[in-house]
Amino acid sequence: MNSTALLSAAKDGILTGSIYALMATGLTLIFGVMDLINIAQGILVILGAYLSYALQLHWHIDLFLGLLITIPAMFVVGIVVERLFFRRLTGPEKTGMSILITYAVSLLIEGTLNMVFSVNDVQLQAWYVNKSFAIGSVHFGFIYVAGFVLAAVLLSALYFMLYRTRFGVSVRASVADQTSAALVGIDVKRVSTITFGIGVAVTAVGGMIYGATNAFNASSSYDLISRLLTIIVLGGMGSLGGAMLAGVGMVFVGDMVGVIWSPIWSSMSYFIVLAVVLLFRPQGLFGKQSARVA
Amino acid sequence: MTSKLKYLWWVVALAVFAVYPVVETNPSDQTIGVYTLLFMACAASWNMFSGYSGYIALGSSVFYGVGAYTMALISIHAHMAPGAAMFWLAPLGGLVAVAFAIPIGWIALRVRRHTFVVITIAIFFIFQLGAINFNFTGGTGGLSLPFIQWNTSYYSVPFYYVALGIVIFATVLSAVVRRSRFGLQLMAIRDDEDRALGLGVKVGAVKLTGFALSAFAIGMAGAVYAMFQGQIYPQFVFDPTFDVSVALMSFFGGLGTLTGPLLGALVLESAQQYLTATYSNNSLYLILFGALFLIVINFMPRGIVSFFIDRRRRALAAVAASASATPPAPAPSNVGSLV
Amino acid sequence: MKLSSKHFRVLGAASVAGALSLTVATTSGASSGGLAAGAPVKIGISLSLSGDFSADGLAFQQGYKLWAADVNKTGGLLGHKVVLDIVSDASSPTQVVTNYQKLVTQDHVNLTFGPFSSLLSLPAGKTLSRSGYALIEGAGGGPSVFQAGLKNIFDVSLPVANNFIPFATWIDSLPASTRPKTVAYVTSNDPFTEPQLTTIEPLLTKAGIKQVYNKVFPAEVTDFTPIADAVAAAKPQVVVLGSTDVPTVSAFMQAFEQSGYTPKVFIATGGPDQGSTFIKAVGAGNADGVMVPNAWYGGSSNPLSKKMVAEYIKQYGGTAAGVSSDVVEAYSVGEVAAQAVKATGGFDNTKIINYLHSGAVMQSAQGPVKFNAVGENVTPTAFTFQWQAKGTKFVQINPVGDPNSVKVLFPKPAWGK
Repeated sequence: MNSTALLSAAKDGILTGSIYALMATGLTLIFGVMDLINIAQGILVILGAYLSYALQLHWHIDLFLGLLITIPAMFVVGIVVERLFFRRLTGPEKTGMSILITYAVSLLIEGTLNMVFSVNDVQLQAWYVNKSFAIGSVHFGFIYVAGFVLAAVLLSALYFMLYRTRFGVSVRASVADQTSAALVGIDVKRVSTITFGIGVAVTAVGGMIYGATNAFNASSSYDLISRLLTIIVLGGMGSLGGAMLAGVGMVFVGDMVGVIWSPIWSSMSYFIVLAVVLLFRPQGLFGKQSARVA
Repeated sequence: MTSKLKYLWWVVALAVFAVYPVVETNPSDQTIGVYTLLFMACAASWNMFSGYSGYIALGSSVFYGVGAYTMALISIHAHMAPGAAMFWLAPLGGLVAVAFAIPIGWIALRVRRHTFVVITIAIFFIFQLGAINFNFTGGTGGLSLPFIQWNTSYYSVPFYYVALGIVIFATVLSAVVRRSRFGLQLMAIRDDEDRALGLGVKVGAVKLTGFALSAFAIGMAGAVYAMFQGQIYPQFVFDPTFDVSVALMSFFGGLGTLTGPLLGALVLESAQQYLTATYSNNSLYLILFGALFLIVINFMPRGIVSFFIDRRRRALAAVAASASATPPAPAPSNVGSLV
Repeated sequence: MKLSSKHFRVLGAASVAGALSLTVATTSGASSGGLAAGAPVKIGISLSLSGDFSADGLAFQQGYKLWAADVNKTGGLLGHKVVLDIVSDASSPTQVVTNYQKLVTQDHVNLTFGPFSSLLSLPAGKTLSRSGYALIEGAGGGPSVFQAGLKNIFDVSLPVANNFIPFATWIDSLPASTRPKTVAYVTSNDPFTEPQLTTIEPLLTKAGIKQVYNKVFPAEVTDFTPIADAVAAAKPQVVVLGSTDVPTVSAFMQAFEQSGYTPKVFIATGGPDQGSTFIKAVGAGNADGVMVPNAWYGGSSNPLSKKMVAEYIKQYGGTAAGVSSDVVEAYSVGEVAAQAVKATGGFDNTKIINYLHSGAVMQSAQGPVKFNAVGENVTPTAFTFQWQAKGTKFVQINPVGDPNSVKVLFPKPAWGK
């Protein structure tokens, strides 16, 4: 195959990967601060996509402008979910229970979305969705580039928040050790709630871009969540840098495999990469080294 | 409850299950029975590893699929005559599943619990995608087994009893493991793995053995399913919702208990079959299922069976406390219980 | 396009229609396969009203309902009003088995019609074979269905493998100066699409067209940009796309537009034949030039088809070009069943199966129907259709030389809105 094909695949991997990185970052942040695995992250992305869809369909609000509404909306959704279901979750089986609870929540949301929007595939449309510009022989779709820029901006904002604000200090302290953080006076509950809200709010953006580049319905969430989980484990659960790197890396590898070999093996390469990496680094790329497992 | 009474309950339950197809002659209901029993066997077997050790494996569908494909591939390539002889392939399906479980477990068990969940999911997808894309598995078109011509009015019955046999096998195995030293080691790993390691438990070998053992019944169930359906498709025998369902059923009923997974599977699977058949509206079923789940988790977070065990313990403890002066503090553990 | 129908509404509509016709004909003295005079004849159907095949399942439901209403208007089948008992299988083969079992053993339906897709027809056929029921269906045409050798499955639609032959013949007929030089094959991993591409590949190679890309993609892919980018990078002049639904075709078209690439010839195995669903998804301006093989289209001059199309428009609006081929497939199933019932004088499935295998030729809105030993319909010819005139016309272009074929729009106009 020619160089155009390879360059295009690389371009696709990086642009699309940045969106997955954004969504995965939310997920890994939630795990890092709260020790919860939010299986509903997939369906929340779809919810964000449907919100953008509804805004556009009924009120003709542009997709990007609509984010000004959907991001706060998803933030609120996150807070509500956390308050309703996770407040009482304590104890050693917390993480296992969180899987169940978030799975049940995702079923609820999936069923509701099906009833409201029907199961037919939809896709977000806008005049610029199919437009592109070319650099050499490689074409860059507007929407993909916009998504990449947004993801980069948001991830930078997240980094800024974590490393330059007091709230960020509280978050990092909670990630390091919840008990100690509470002991030094950090309101861990408040930190958890807000973090969960942030983790969900990023799905609004991820959802909009995902919805503009894929035909989706509520059951698209299964594929999404399996990829997101794979990404955060590969990156190391709780590590933001890991999620970003793994997010871009996985999609990149998948697309290259698709072009060099066949699209059929594209998805499988995700999981094989994970399995191989975990063989040598069980904690993921940047994860915390846990006690030795015999 | 005395031990004798407990055994009586088991006998009664067994009798009810044994008589069901005779009483309920409607083939649709018998079919629901078959699916329910298969899930019960899988949930019990899954629980035997994941419930006792605390390592939640969300990729058990791999064993189901491997069992199914074993049944399909062998019956096709050996040109078997369609009929009851094919049932003998079921244990073979189980063994092949165990053979796969060993390398899979070896890779997956190197990581700690939370990562373990995800890597089992990843391995599952590798198998599903492999089944879809390799030629010998028939690709998306799947495989079509030798066509069994039994009449509709009694078609489901032999499958029902075979499935019941697998349930009994899985339950007995789970009970035996539970009261053995091996089972104690698994539960020690669940309670505190580092400590167990420190106390000399060969943690790696124990986990791997538990994982491999749990694959057997699930593989058999997959093989029987393949025979029952008559054809298999990769996305339906390697089904991500199967993974989660089996886990949910065990949690619902009571993770780590003996009857919990059986009860959970019985309730959830028959409810699902009934809801889908009656309401034909998938969305409603999802909402009801999710809501039911949240309600149960809210009031009985450790599952139905555990809930009742704990309540009984607390009641007994309260009685004992009022009788004597010292207030005992019963730790909610299910070791040694036959329920 | 949102279509939310519950099967209760079907029963309601059919009963109303049936009640009106009760006053008309009365049953003859001949045996009605065990049906008492005045009793309705129940037809059991499992459809994908949710899940992967839901869009087609819903279109099928429209076709079945339309047929039932029509038949009841003229007195029903042998004087019995037709009542459709439709259950949803959520596109799952496990559910399909349970559904047909329930329909036969609990609801005691007299006849059974087929679900949508080869994936579901086979388990359905096996289940029904054990009860001796015929499965007349319109959309399970993948070769794997017939390879199982079941005697009770009857597919009234065109068997898929030969869909592309008129198209290949047309390409071959082009003079060397205008004939395309390169072709890309890209298909979904599906038993419906892959056999079609396998048939056409040697034909195009023989016509001297070089293959520059040939890959299969998994059926569950939703982001087609990387694949379309790879196809575009190979710069093929012909693109043969193996797709089963509108979202796939539309996604490819959008991705091609983004890659700045327009093929000279673009043909897809499925999707562009879905009428207005297709146009809505891709935009009227982009549809021009897109081709699709099929045995039928909305503008067909077949009198049975014209009647059906007129009724469909009356009930659902739209134009002839907007009618999905799923609707006529379902409708034809009903027509064939009605003729079999009439010929055998009743609802005895064994007699119906024998009649359908007897080589008798029946008529349907899709054209004549005659079954071979494994239940394939051997009479229809494949045609190739194309969208023209800014998405308002869906016309027959192949076989070249057929009196109904119009001039081909070639090369495909560039993407634009």
